[in-house]
Amino acid sequence: MDIAVKDANIEPEKGNENPINYHATNMSSDWPLNENILTNTSLGIIPTGNSIVESSVCSSALMADSFCPQIWDQPVSVQSLGYCDVNVPNNARTKDNFGPTSASTGWIPDAILRECMYLPTFPGMVPQSMPHFLADSSCIEREARFSCFSGENFGDMMNRYIVPENLNSNSHVLASMQGQHDVFASGGRKMSMTESSKEAFLPSEYGTEGSPLKNKKTIESSPFSRVEAKLGVGTLANDSNEVEFSSRGDQELEGSPRESSGKGLGSKKRKRTEQNRELDENNRVPEPSAETAKDNAEIQQKSDWNPTSTSKPAGKHGKQGSQGSDLPKEEYIRVRARRGQATNSHSLSERLRREKISERMKFLQDLVPGCSKVTGKAVMLDEIINYVQSLQRQVEFLSMKLATVNPLLNFNIEGLLTKDTIQSCIGSSSSLPFPPDMIMPYLPLHQTPPGLIQPGLSSFGISSNALRRSINSPFTSAFKESTSQGLSLWEDELHNVVQMEINSSAPLSSQDLTGSLPPGHIKAEL
Amino acid sequence: MNTHNQLPSSHSSVESRFASGFLKALKKMNKNRPSSPSIRDTYRRYNFIRVSAYGLMASAVRPGRAWSHATLWKIRNRTFHRALMKRSRTHSLTRRVARGNPRNELGCEQVNDLRKLVPGGEEMKFCRLLNETAHYMKCLQAQVQIMRNIVDHYST
Repeated sequence: MDIAVKDANIEPEKGNENPINYHATNMSSDWPLNENILTNTSLGIIPTGNSIVESSVCSSALMADSFCPQIWDQPVSVQSLGYCDVNVPNNARTKDNFGPTSASTGWIPDAILRECMYLPTFPGMVPQSMPHFLADSSCIEREARFSCFSGENFGDMMNRYIVPENLNSNSHVLASMQGQHDVFASGGRKMSMTESSKEAFLPSEYGTEGSPLKNKKTIESSPFSRVEAKLGVGTLANDSNEVEFSSRGDQELEGSPRESSGKGLGSKKRKRTEQNRELDENNRVPEPSAETAKDNAEIQQKSDWNPTSTSKPAGKHGKQGSQGSDLPKEEYIRVRARRGQATNSHSLSERLRREKISERMKFLQDLVPGCSKVTGKAVMLDEIINYVQSLQRQVEFLSMKLATVNPLLNFNIEGLLTKDTIQSCIGSSSSLPFPPDMIMPYLPLHQTPPGLIQPGLSSFGISSNALRRSINSPFTSAFKESTSQGLSLWEDELHNVVQMEINSSAPLSSQDLTGSLPPGHIKAEL
Repeated sequence: MNTHNQLPSSHSSVESRFASGFLKALKKMNKNRPSSPSIRDTYRRYNFIRVSAYGLMASAVRPGRAWSHATLWKIRNRTFHRALMKRSRTHSLTRRVARGNPRNELGCEQVNDLRKLVPGGEEMKFCRLLNETAHYMKCLQAQVQIMRNIVDHYST
């Protein structure tokens, strides 16, 4: 039965793709409508086991759909509510499929809350809607990735259950549901998850709605969820459910040790329920049914769109949403594009990285003088490398000079750090007057005659100036500035020569060469 | 951008820290200065000045960047001189390290050269390397200017 129904359901799903968007836009109008329907029909539908089962199968197919790229790729219209819209249409759809059966169960809003913890506007809509299964299903893989996240949600669920309704049994149902979700997330079997969640959902529904079944349950209810599990199975009374139970029991055996990572109270209860159920259902269910369940799960996964890659954006968004800011949402929407497989997180991060790199390249381009016209990245890197190299060589050159120069011991630090000097520093540093690579080869000349230079500072200045002139002259054409700059350089050098003749202590500074020296400084030197 | 916003505010303080430290180092060095220095003496002083210039610049950067940490680490481990002197050796070494990194989309040679230039850049990712390069470049510019001013001051 399962396979047939599911195959029938998978195909109509494609026809239902469009309603997703439709629901997304008309979301607000949908909810009150459905609420009315629910209130009207809620009592009538609950006992019908078969319809529920079918609808659960539908929900499983829908769940497969919820991972489809069409939903993830919903374009800009989703922006207002962000990621949550994607789930909301699903919820609307499940509501349609489930009809009133899924009516005002207490834990539904929690499921939405879990989805939309980061959406401030959403909780207002929560009570009318019934997202539960699909919301949960889309959440499952996220939970698998972020176990702490699910732990929080679980606490939320517990609170919401216990506080308004004072039903411990409901909380147990929830605990069991949470356990199932985790188990199936780890197992990767969505089909069975829906069945089980559906089934676990039924008791809670009974409990909250006050149908006669509730009385039955409360009579039977020991504080453990075994009763509820029985109740769910008994009400559904269907083969498929038992199949799911069996498979779930097996999976719980596998999965329960895995999930034990710090969920506190919830995990305790969940484990208890799991154990009880394993006892119950392993007794009840024959073995071959488990195989059919596995087949179902496989079919489901085939119909899915690449579950791993879909789960990645979901997990990513969950991470962003837990931060609770608006920015990540926009970012997520901005980088998302309808590209099919290319929108997985790897290529997204790669694109972000490339953007970052180009941004930093631009910043570096501003830093390096004369690099603004260069376009190619390789050429720019060359420029950057040359500039850094030149700066390093300048440092070495200047330290060499400091080593050779006989210092006048008394100088004031404040004079060095005044605004004028710093400004002149910055001004002249932005336009590097000479490429120091050309100076480097001449360094040995400085190094060899220290004894000669030593007695007179002026002689050192003159020699270095002459050196620079000899360096600069063959390379004027190679300067980044055009000939006008070269002419000004020559003029300045002539000025320097005149200065040297007038004043024997000629300054050795690149500011003179470029002429970018503030006038006050020149006066002081003259 | 991050570095863009950070630098102008902290730039002057970095400069002043470096300048004061550097002048102190020079003073200390000049106290021990012999009356008639030989070439060997001058070379030693040159090394001292250069290393102290790099080290003081790196220590003036607060909070420390990757390049400053790398520079200080090198100086502390006494490999700084040799690393700077024997360029060829570090050249081959860094090239080998960087060739193992397949992430470079730009010209591999240039990126490797840049990695070699920026201290500590061998094991950075490319984004980080660019960031560090920008910061390092700014600091080098300031350093060059301060040293140039000091030289001017000495020579006048």
